[in-house]
Amino acid sequence: MTGSIRKNKKRTILFLSLLLPLLLLLISLSLGTLKVSVREALEILAARISGVNQVLLSSPAANIVLNIRLPRVLLALLAGAAFSVSGASLQSLFRNPLVNEYVLGVSFGAGFGAAASLILFSRSFPPQVLAFACGLLAVVLVLVISEGARNTLVAVLLTGIIVSALFQALLSALEFVASPYALQSLFFWLLGSFSQATWTDLLWSGPLILAGLTLLIKMGWRINALSLSDDEARSLGLAVKRERILIICLAALITSAVVSIAGIIGWVGLIVPHAVRGLVGADNRLVLPVSAGLGASLMLLADDLIRVLSPFEFPVGILTNLVGIPFFLFLIKRARSSWS
Amino acid sequence: MQIRVEQLQVRYEDFELRVENLTFSPNRVSVLVGPNGAGKSTLLRALAGLVRPVAGAIFIDGRELAGLRGPERARLVSYVPQEYSASLNFRVFDFILMGRSGYLNIFTPPARADYEKTEEVISYLGLEKLAQRKCQELSSGERRIVFIARALAQDSKVILLDEPTTFLDLKHEMEIIGLLKKLAEDRAKMIITSIHSIDLIPRLADFMVMIQKGRILAAGPTAEIFRAELLGTLFDYPLRVVEAEGRQLILR
Repeated sequence: MTGSIRKNKKRTILFLSLLLPLLLLLISLSLGTLKVSVREALEILAARISGVNQVLLSSPAANIVLNIRLPRVLLALLAGAAFSVSGASLQSLFRNPLVNEYVLGVSFGAGFGAAASLILFSRSFPPQVLAFACGLLAVVLVLVISEGARNTLVAVLLTGIIVSALFQALLSALEFVASPYALQSLFFWLLGSFSQATWTDLLWSGPLILAGLTLLIKMGWRINALSLSDDEARSLGLAVKRERILIICLAALITSAVVSIAGIIGWVGLIVPHAVRGLVGADNRLVLPVSAGLGASLMLLADDLIRVLSPFEFPVGILTNLVGIPFFLFLIKRARSSWS
Repeated sequence: MQIRVEQLQVRYEDFELRVENLTFSPNRVSVLVGPNGAGKSTLLRALAGLVRPVAGAIFIDGRELAGLRGPERARLVSYVPQEYSASLNFRVFDFILMGRSGYLNIFTPPARADYEKTEEVISYLGLEKLAQRKCQELSSGERRIVFIARALAQDSKVILLDEPTTFLDLKHEMEIIGLLKKLAEDRAKMIITSIHSIDLIPRLADFMVMIQKGRILAAGPTAEIFRAELLGTLFDYPLRVVEAEGRQLILR
């Protein structure tokens, strides 16, 4: 009896958390200097999909909605979902509430990779490739260096900070040698912003992020078992090492895919899963999809706030830092061996 | 089903365990006894397939343990560790359900059959009241039973337990002892457990293995080797075994 009530409540939360980003998408398309109503935005989307109303599609409003706002909004949604799901998965995997892609050095590794790619090959070569390679390299470094430490929780955090610092230093070196023109675009991109989003960027990153998200969410149940001690997980029949590596790679993949086009945006992957666990409990079958929905919504909302409130493009990465770091400190303060 | 240990050599840090020959027979409770650090946990972990032997082998039902894939091994042997180590605060039901992992591949969530098995285990152990609670809210006695429930959901013939009664009060200790006996009798489980309270051995176990400093001191039916001299040598402390009310009691 109580079980089924609980089940219904959870279904409702899941449904709402997936509906919310869709509603916000429509609202966000109508926000901006050029006034477009939600209804018009919907009509433009419908016209684009059906291809019927060519007159509407050639209007300046349609151009702005479809080519400027839509990629930006989609990128914000994907970024929020990607950071939150990779954060939630990594926290379970490392049995550590303080871990996320940012703390583990993936973000700065990917940031360095993407910047290096932009400077070396310009835009002609997708920056996602090098971003992923360096993002993965960063986690591997953190894992190898912190392995065998007595207090792994602290060791992983410290090593993550140092590896991040290493990639930041490499990034600074790059900036130093880059041409002034490249430097300027690099500078804004690194602060983390969706304002430069184009369909070309999304063409590469979008499918990668969607595929990674789908796989991680499908593995929610498995991630539960992987959050047990190694001995237990192995005795339950899991190929612990292989499965961990797969999940870390997927988390690094979706993070790098975002970072390579939107720059470094930290802490979303820490705040969202934490809030979601408070809402639905520890079961990753629910935590992961709800984190995806709420993370996407939160990220989009943050970007909307910036678009509406600041006359110039305030980087969203700075905003998430300003909110995320105090939250992180608060978590450290109350971190104990148990968390829920 | 039978477990045969042959010329086993296991290393863990600077500790080494050697077992020449040891056979566990089906449908009964076997205990591993010995002082702290003697190698009980190491032997259990080896039997669970969690450590790779340096030499020798363990055969379960004639199949070599080290050659089994994870899921195959999980369907044969389950392992109940000493402490609750999950950092996430799972609901009891979901925690027991994890016993089904060996029947599922990496992308499949549990299906109806897995839920049914979990429900069956919960009602067999009378855990209905705990099922919706969170693991970290449970007392240590309740938590041990939940662990055993997970092993039952795993549906393996062999259940290995590492000190399932330490830190429990008397009532919960006896509850676990009763449960282990019941599992061997009603469910034809093969139970192998390490145990601290030697006075409980005659009630619990048909077979005992005495381990000292990484070697087997003696192994055999409890009725034959539960002797004062052997136990005294094992623990390096003079002990007496006396009979009272038809039971064997330890005097120290």
